[in-house]
Amino acid sequence: MENMNTFQQFFYYFDENGSYVFMQFVQHFLISIYGVLIAAVVGIPTGILISKYGRLSTYVITIANIIQTIPGLAMLAILMLAIGLGQTTVVVAVFLYSLLPIIKNTYTGINNINKDLTDSGKGMGMTKLQVLYMIELPLSLSVIIAGIRIALVVAIGITAIGAFIGAGGLGDIIIRGTNATDGTAIILAGAIPTALMAVLVDLILSFIERKIDPVKKNRKLVEPKIESLEE
Amino acid sequence: MRRLKWIVFICSIMLILSACSSGKDETIKIATVTTTESAIMGNMVKLMIEHYTDENVQMINNLGSSVVVHQAMLNGDANISATRYTGTDLTGALGQEAIKDPEEAMKKVQELFQKDYDQTFFDSYGFANTYAFMVSKETAKKYNLKKVSDLRKVADKMQAGVDTSWMNRPGDGYKAFVKEYGFDFNKVYPMQIGLVYDAVEAGKMDVVLGYTTDGRISSYDLVVLEDDLKFFPPYDCSPLATNELLKTHPEVKKILEKLVDKVSTEEMQKLNYESDNNLLEPAVVAQRFLEKHNYFDDKGGE
Repeated sequence: MENMNTFQQFFYYFDENGSYVFMQFVQHFLISIYGVLIAAVVGIPTGILISKYGRLSTYVITIANIIQTIPGLAMLAILMLAIGLGQTTVVVAVFLYSLLPIIKNTYTGINNINKDLTDSGKGMGMTKLQVLYMIELPLSLSVIIAGIRIALVVAIGITAIGAFIGAGGLGDIIIRGTNATDGTAIILAGAIPTALMAVLVDLILSFIERKIDPVKKNRKLVEPKIESLEE
Repeated sequence: MRRLKWIVFICSIMLILSACSSGKDETIKIATVTTTESAIMGNMVKLMIEHYTDENVQMINNLGSSVVVHQAMLNGDANISATRYTGTDLTGALGQEAIKDPEEAMKKVQELFQKDYDQTFFDSYGFANTYAFMVSKETAKKYNLKKVSDLRKVADKMQAGVDTSWMNRPGDGYKAFVKEYGFDFNKVYPMQIGLVYDAVEAGKMDVVLGYTTDGRISSYDLVVLEDDLKFFPPYDCSPLATNELLKTHPEVKKILEKLVDKVSTEEMQKLNYESDNNLLEPAVVAQRFLEKHNYFDDKGGE
C-alpha cells in the first residue's frame, strides 16, 4: 500500500470494499430520511396551525430555534443519556434538528400568500378546509419543500456524527480513517459519498419541487400577476 | 382557541415521546470498541448469526472503551459485546485483583459475570491481546533472544520504547517489571503505542513493548519474546452475552461456541494487518475469513 498515492489508495479502497460502503451509504440515507419524514409529519401540521393562530407562532418557533442552537455532538450526548446508544437516538436528533426549517418554512409559506387569493376563495364559498387544500397548500408547497431540502442536508451531516454513538453509516468509515495510521484515503472514502449524498438529495428534491408546484409547472398558463408569487 | 393550543401541545409531546419509547426491542445488538480487532470480531459474530439464523443484527460501533461497553450492556443498549479481555474485565468491570494464570483468570471472570451481572463470558476465541516485548529479527539473531529473561545480559546496552500508560501502571507496570525480572534497560522511552512498531523496525529502538495481536508484528517480521516469568496478566479475548438474550435466542449460544478457539493470535495479527495496512474494511476482512472457513460449519458446537 505504501507505494500508492492517496488517490490510488482511494480507488483501491472502493474496489475492495465497495459493497460495504454501499451498505453504509444506504443506512446513512435511511437514518436521515426517517428523521426528516417524522419531522415533516409533525412539522407541517404545526406550521399550518401556527399560521392560523398567530399567537402560538412565537412560542413554537422560539422552541424550535432553541433546539437548533444546541451543537450536534452535545445533542447526541444528551439524547444518549435519555434513550441510549444506536440508531434510534440519531433518528430523534435528526427529527429535532429538522423541526425548525420545516415549521418555519410552512409558516412563512402560508403567511406570504396574497390575501386577495384566499379572500376570493372565501368569496366563492369555500370552507376553511377547502381554502387550505385548494389555495394555501398548493401555493406554499415550494417553500415547504425548500424547508425539507434544508432539513435533509442538515440531517445528512448530523447522521455522520451519529457514528460516535454507534449508529453506523458513513461516519463509521470516517472515524476508522482518523484512527488508522495512514487513513487519508479512508477518510475521503467516507467523506466524499456523504457530500455526494447531500448534493444528490438536494437535486432530487428540487426536481420534485418543480414537478408538484402548480405555479412553476404551468408557468405558461399563469397570468403575469400571479407569477410574482413565486418568491 | 385555548383548547386548541392544548391539543397541539399534547399532540406534539405525545409524538416526541412515542418516538422515544421504541428503543427497547428484541433485536440482537453487538457492541464493539474503536479498535480494528474489535470491529473485525464484531462483524464476524454478526455474520455468523446472520448465516445461521434470520435474526436482525445491529452493530453499535466505535464505543470508547470496555467500560462504556459494559455500561451499554447494563443499560440494555447492547446484548453482545464482541471483544472482552479477561485481564481488563477482572480489574475493570469486576473490580478484582489481577490474576496471572490464564485459566484461573478465565474461570474467575466467567463465574463472576454469571453471578454479578447475569451475563455469560464465553471461552476465548483463541487469541490473547496482551503486552509483550518484541525485537527485530536481526536483534533476536544477534543476541540469541527467545525469552524476556534472555534480555538480562544485554539490557544495559538497549534502548526500550514502551507505551506511555505502562510506565506508571501499578501491578504490571514498569516498576513492577524491573522488580520481577531484576534488570533494567539502558534508557526507556515512553511513546504512543502506535509508534513503537515502526520505531523498532526503523532501528530507533532495540526493544519495544507492544500488543501481541498488532498486524505490524507479522508485516515487520518482529520476534515476540516469551514472557517466561508470566509477568503480564493474560488478556484472552472472548465474546460476552447477556443471559436474557441467550434465553430468548438459544441458537446464539451455539453460534458463539462455534467461534471458540478458532482465531489464533497469529491469525488475528494477519486479520488486523489486512485491515490496518491493506485498506480493507473490518466487515470485509471478517467476511473473507468466514467464507474461507465455511462459517465453521459442522465443526464445534453441539
